[in-house]
Amino acid sequence: MTRIRFVGIALSSMLWVSGALAQDLAPLDSDSVLAAAQSLEVGEMQARNEFRSLDQDVQALKKEVLDLNRDLFLLEEELLFPANSQVAFFISVDVGEYFDLDAVKLQIDGKEVSNYLYTEREVSALHRGGVHRMHMENLKVGNHELIAVFTGKGPSTRDYRRGATMSFEKGIGAKYVELEITDRMTKQQPEFVIKEWE
Amino acid sequence: MILAASSIAASSLEGQAAPDFVLKSATGENLRLSEYRGDVVLINFWATWCGPCRQEMPLLDDLYGRYQRVGFNLLGVNIDDDSRRAMQMVQELGVKFPVLFDENKEVSKLYEVEAMPVTVLVDREGRVRHVHHGYKPGYEEKYLTEIRSLLRE
Repeated sequence: MTRIRFVGIALSSMLWVSGALAQDLAPLDSDSVLAAAQSLEVGEMQARNEFRSLDQDVQALKKEVLDLNRDLFLLEEELLFPANSQVAFFISVDVGEYFDLDAVKLQIDGKEVSNYLYTEREVSALHRGGVHRMHMENLKVGNHELIAVFTGKGPSTRDYRRGATMSFEKGIGAKYVELEITDRMTKQQPEFVIKEWE
Repeated sequence: MILAASSIAASSLEGQAAPDFVLKSATGENLRLSEYRGDVVLINFWATWCGPCRQEMPLLDDLYGRYQRVGFNLLGVNIDDDSRRAMQMVQELGVKFPVLFDENKEVSKLYEVEAMPVTVLVDREGRVRHVHHGYKPGYEEKYLTEIRSLLRE
């Protein structure tokens, strides 16, 4: 009997505890749920907007950096090669069937100033009409001598090495010199021509 | 005198744009580093008198064979005074990656090569990402991890 009473008391106290717990876990008010969801949505939108504006800032910064880089490059060129002493040397190829260009070496007034190795891709670009600014130099006003040595494969894929020379007068203002490789059809040999741009 | 070394040192080149260069290759072509932009490139500086280089090169050749078709390239830059010895060693080892000759040591100066070998990893945007000075067995595992990570970028 005592045991039955004890179990009864235990059962009723368990019921009382679970009732109290049930009150604590009662379903929330629907209005407060809606308000919470709305504030979450607003928070998300704000975060998205912030992210978008950050992204825009980053893009703007990137553009500024690129513009600055370009300006610095141009300024550097102007400082290193001022127009009044600047001489630029260009390589071009007209047809180029009789000569497969490998390298060009430039000497000015007896001093080697450039030795450029051409890759297959660069040669292909030249064949398609590209002009390569191979070298820039500062020269004083007066007479100068240019020697250009071209190496590559000639007719019948033999190793070919040919030089071309030119004396030119450097005046005030920039000067542009073109070294052109052409095919001389009559002799079936390449020809190397140096000319000044007006 | 440049000695074969097995130590790893930090390099000031890491994070910088890889200095561009063009050199004549063993096949006679001129190869320019910047024309590989878009690929991951491993540049390995080596010499015929360097023992660790001999050990390393066949392992590098394996990496080249495995990953070349997925945008990886390997350039072996030899710095011997006489490229004929280098050609002989390339034929002995049977490596297939392009070998370039830097007889004037201009490119090795650009890359701060002081001990041999030196292995430089360049990412698709042309930036130096890792530099390894020397070679010890097991380094190729590091290269493998780094190459795979750069290929995934």
